[in-house]
Amino acid sequence: MLFNSVQFALFLPIVFLGYWVVTKINRKAQNFLLIVASYIFYAWWDWRFLGLIAFSTGVDFVVGQRIYVHLDDRKKAKAWLLLSVVANLGLLGFFKYYNFFVDSLVDSLQVLGYSVKSKYTLSIILPVGISFYTFQTLSYSFDIYYRRLKPTTNFVAFAAFVSFFPQLVAGPIERASNLLLQIERPRKFQYTQAADGLKLILWGLFKKLVIADSLAPMVDDIFANYGTYPSSTLILGVVMFSFQVYGDFSGYSDIAIGTAKLFGIELMSNFRFPHFSRNVAEYWQRWHVSLSTWFRHYLYIPLGGSRVSKQRAVFNILVVFLVSGLWHGSNWTFVFWGGFHALLFIPVFLLKRNRIYMDSVIGQNTYLPSLKETGQVLLTFGLVTFSRIFFRSPNLADAFAYIRGIFTDFQMEWYTHPLGYRMVDYYILMLLFVVYEYRIRKNERSPFHFKSPFVRFVLYVLAIFGILLFYDDGINRSFIYFQF
Amino acid sequence: MKKFIFKTVIYFGLILMALELLVRAFHLHADDPPKMIDEFGVEKRVPGSTGHYVKGNRRQNFTHFSINNSGFNSYRQFNPSESKYEVALVGDSFIEGFHQNFDNSLGKKIERLLPELEVYEYGYTGSTMAYQMHLVNAYQEEFRNIDKIILYMKFKNDFDTHEHEANYELIRTLNTLPFRIRKNCKLWVYGSNYGMTMPIKNIASAIWKGFIFLRGKGNLEVAIPEMEATSVTDRIENFKKLIATYGLDTQKTVLLLDSRVTDNQFLDFCKENGITYLDFSEAFQKALDPVTLIYDMHWNDYGRELLAESIADYLQREIDR
Repeated sequence: MLFNSVQFALFLPIVFLGYWVVTKINRKAQNFLLIVASYIFYAWWDWRFLGLIAFSTGVDFVVGQRIYVHLDDRKKAKAWLLLSVVANLGLLGFFKYYNFFVDSLVDSLQVLGYSVKSKYTLSIILPVGISFYTFQTLSYSFDIYYRRLKPTTNFVAFAAFVSFFPQLVAGPIERASNLLLQIERPRKFQYTQAADGLKLILWGLFKKLVIADSLAPMVDDIFANYGTYPSSTLILGVVMFSFQVYGDFSGYSDIAIGTAKLFGIELMSNFRFPHFSRNVAEYWQRWHVSLSTWFRHYLYIPLGGSRVSKQRAVFNILVVFLVSGLWHGSNWTFVFWGGFHALLFIPVFLLKRNRIYMDSVIGQNTYLPSLKETGQVLLTFGLVTFSRIFFRSPNLADAFAYIRGIFTDFQMEWYTHPLGYRMVDYYILMLLFVVYEYRIRKNERSPFHFKSPFVRFVLYVLAIFGILLFYDDGINRSFIYFQF
Repeated sequence: MKKFIFKTVIYFGLILMALELLVRAFHLHADDPPKMIDEFGVEKRVPGSTGHYVKGNRRQNFTHFSINNSGFNSYRQFNPSESKYEVALVGDSFIEGFHQNFDNSLGKKIERLLPELEVYEYGYTGSTMAYQMHLVNAYQEEFRNIDKIILYMKFKNDFDTHEHEANYELIRTLNTLPFRIRKNCKLWVYGSNYGMTMPIKNIASAIWKGFIFLRGKGNLEVAIPEMEATSVTDRIENFKKLIATYGLDTQKTVLLLDSRVTDNQFLDFCKENGITYLDFSEAFQKALDPVTLIYDMHWNDYGRELLAESIADYLQREIDR
């Protein structure tokens, strides 16, 4: 079930009302209702994969308790942790990476001169959200192993934690220390929280339907026919893709966080205006925060983090970015994308500038950003956008050909879409979006934070009006990150 | 909780009202001139209606229409006489031409090329060959003075029936209160033009089916007649029957068609029976730019220009002869 579907528009109010009515009768039933709703939500896409969620839930519930029992016996605790890792990554590996590794092995053997045909690949459907919920359950076992968390004895609460529908299929990837603890406690309805939730849902829908979906046809066209376009169009294509992927994924996260608020649950922020970052390190503190912190907590720090020799720390950074790239998809393009980001991050790390923007945003105390900040933001945006050529291209050959097109055929030409879309509408839209995001840059959880109720009302109307103006029923409305 | 639901409903209502105002203020909705059926059983628009036709969410195509005294979208009144050379252009929405300014229509373009001519555009959205032939037959007094009749046809759409039946029920339904309300709710009109209301309609339809199911105690099956694709020969047979019913003056009638989407059997039938047709496919194939609009498949200004040239060339030849 997509957040931007009619089914969800019907499903959400029904579950919302049912949830709070049930709360009045029996608070303990809240979690049971959440599980039922979450399983229906997931089954709407494909019920056959519910078993995987149930399996992951069962394994980590048991493993969590066993690790806790053996906390003082690190060998046994590690063995149980390994079971969780093998089970979750095994699922992920089989469904997501099996064909990729087989094909890559075959390619490697062919390079070495062995004639091998790739007949071992399987027709596997990638279960939606598998990368997200497996990482979420893994974090639970890790946290217990690292003594950050006590295991829950409440199986219903744990199952609700794993399958919580707002963030089940595309995150934010929650930690048990945040989500599970909230789920274990009964929730009370709070007007402000629910109202904030609706506002976030509206803003998320705007980003998805207006920004991401309306730019999708241009991006698709330019990336599909990059060989026929001049460099200016290729640059436009990848810039538009930056807007699209941001609108799509951050829109999804906003809807997820907003929906969770309706149920009295606070999810972690996933996007904090990443395109206003002043260097790549800041970008990774703002883009897909739940994933980057996951890798920091469960891969980078266990590898030694930065409290090791410089060479080792650089190696750790490289590993994290490569694995992060691979997490996104079973394609070498993502590995390259991750590697490229590592190359951007490492100099920032070596210059000790990776933590300088932890607590501030551009224009922290001023209305407009300084010239220096503007330059930094444009440079960071440019580099990050450039990396997205790998992210968007179907294979490495296309990615490099696209890059070659940018640098070897330098021409300025107005882009016209084959269907004749009025492009000026989209340029104005992107500009207004940047201006508005800058205006709200200090609080990603409150996109309509204005004192005047009239101004707020006007903004709600304009957001919905924007959705009407850019609605296109011919567009595939799925979310980009569902494929991961 | 009560406060939340109450305020949500209030906000929802206020937002809908504000959107209605915005849609009206920017005139994003398409006007639809009212329909009627005259004493000859010809469906057309109520004379004197004027308004704007809009295509594209953001008013990418915004045009004026004006319904003349005869009930058709045209800048001129239809007053055929023996002294002038008049051409009747009969067809569906392509001829009705809401997607263009009424004073820059296909007919007007032909008149610009051949100033001695008067072109009468009898266009009505959704009309078939049965409608067109019925119209020519019903207005035979008027058409007697018209020198050339051009029937615009699309072979796959226009020959599914062999008799014209005026849809009185539809006209009655459109005049009922719910439909009048719907027509006056411009936000709904705007939304339904771009498929936004389709999900709501589907839900309403599902609820209605459920209601029928409950009332009928399990009798959910609603007989839906199976639509059979009419074959080429069926269509030609229908055309024969139409000719038998309404007649076809082969001396002054010409079919306007695109041979790329017309079956060869039909073209052969026309040749064998002395029915003239004017094929504009070549003009469109040679076109340097797109000939249709972006947001629907009607001819754009360039397409109409090319078509007007083809028709004018043909008419000039006819006049010279």
